[in-house]
Amino acid sequence: MNILLLLPALILIFIVFVIPIVRYYWLSIHASSVMTGLIPVPNNGSNWLRILSDDRFWQDLFQTLRFTFTSVTIEILLAIVIALLLNQKFQGRGIIRAISLLPWALPTTIMALGWRWIFNTPYGPIEQIFTLLGIGTINILSNPHLAWIATVIADVWKTTPFIMIILLAGLQTIPSDLYEAFKLEGGTEIQSFFKITFPLLQPYLIISILFRIAQAFGVFDLIQVMTGGGPANSTESLGLYAYINSMRFLDFGYSATIIFLTFIILIGFCILGWLLISQSKRFLSSEI
Amino acid sequence: MKRNTILIIILLLWSLSPFLWQVYTSFSTTTSILKPFSFIEHKWTLQNYIKVIESNPPFWRYLLNSAIVGSTSTILTLFLAIPASYAISKSNNHQRKITKIFLFLTSLFPYVLLFLSLLEMARKLNIGNNLLALSIPYSALSLPLAILLLSSAFQDLPNDIEEAARIEGLGLVQRMKWILFPLIAPATASTAIIIFLFSWNEYPIALTWISKSEMITLPVAIARIAGSSVFSVPYGAYAAATVLGAVPLMIIVLLFQKQIISGLTQGAIKG
Repeated sequence: MNILLLLPALILIFIVFVIPIVRYYWLSIHASSVMTGLIPVPNNGSNWLRILSDDRFWQDLFQTLRFTFTSVTIEILLAIVIALLLNQKFQGRGIIRAISLLPWALPTTIMALGWRWIFNTPYGPIEQIFTLLGIGTINILSNPHLAWIATVIADVWKTTPFIMIILLAGLQTIPSDLYEAFKLEGGTEIQSFFKITFPLLQPYLIISILFRIAQAFGVFDLIQVMTGGGPANSTESLGLYAYINSMRFLDFGYSATIIFLTFIILIGFCILGWLLISQSKRFLSSEI
Repeated sequence: MKRNTILIIILLLWSLSPFLWQVYTSFSTTTSILKPFSFIEHKWTLQNYIKVIESNPPFWRYLLNSAIVGSTSTILTLFLAIPASYAISKSNNHQRKITKIFLFLTSLFPYVLLFLSLLEMARKLNIGNNLLALSIPYSALSLPLAILLLSSAFQDLPNDIEEAARIEGLGLVQRMKWILFPLIAPATASTAIIIFLFSWNEYPIALTWISKSEMITLPVAIARIAGSSVFSVPYGAYAAATVLGAVPLMIIVLLFQKQIISGLTQGAIKG
């Protein structure tokens, strides 16, 4: 009886999350492109040979990793600061929390377009300020060495609020008498952060790091709208490369290979994350 | 000024200024857009908004499409998630733990990677270009988080209330309707808003499933605008489009901030 209530949801989750992965593996050992009329034909692993020597794939993997680690690190650090700030009591706290949550709630494509305009050369405000200051234009979005930094800034702006809210929830579970007792024993504010706040916040940090790594690894909307993967593919992510292969080159077999390999690499990171989690005793003893 | 006040002002500026810059641009004439910091000769206009509203298909159409997908996805997800969450909350500890870990892992999954297989399914079943069909993958993607949130809400309910109702002879459907559902209403509201926001904002699947321009959702419409404007300078109309696209969501966030925050935080604590 209970299982009947659960089954419809589980079946739908299974169809949308599990079947695609099996299908990608299957497609990755088939040729399915314009050449075959999008009818899958076994091709003895030539997709896999191709991906091993595909410089663009490895370049995109490098870019995706660089993007993921830079943005997640900055986001976590900023989110800790903002969460500590918004955890204090002051007037209008509710409305300030809501405003700081706005970037997260807006569609990524909308603000990616907005950020592209902000970084526009020469009419965007950033270039205008640089010009007014006499530094001259830096052309950030058309510089293959700098463009990815612009995407990191936009991503930090967009997703820090999400982590901040999770950490804020964590902060609110810490009883305030802990701090008072620590203060009575002569501990400073900075010490109390490392002795009380940080250890007790750890499970929340791990959850948000795991979640953000997985999501940043699949970054797509932001890059597609903000830079289209350019200049010179310098900002192209694995998700975008898979999309280009299927929708522009109509090579479903190779696109599936990219996705499957990306998934395997991501699992590697998840296992790493799992080891981190299993070290956190509090997480295990909580009631999950 | 105290240190915190300054930090809060910086936070507000950082959160709002990219959006305010769009607002500023959207009300500027094309010549003023080219010289954004010469405030004295700045000229204001509504022309950009008129352009966007008069475009074909009209802009409100995208908002309507997104609203339709958002509502149907939310309803379908809750319809599936509430019974499933109830079942999980009543199962034994071991089963509950395993199901929750499985759901937690699926909710981590970067769903962008699913687009290709989902596109194949849509083609095979011939449900591309159908807004209502889009809510099927959206529900599936929202279900893990929705079930995690709602099953914790069910677990938090004291058992005696339902037990008493059972002894009174109320069946499961009646208990659901008269007792359980009202009690988990706050959690349901939080979950519903988060699903709605997700479905409203979702991009890769909407992009690949829908090609008819009168059926595309707001994020896809904005990306199309972006794609067509790579080299064009008169940005005013695009800025107006981003503002019109952002305002409904800002209203939702400001109205439902409590539910959104409690939904997200419950997800972190109980998940």
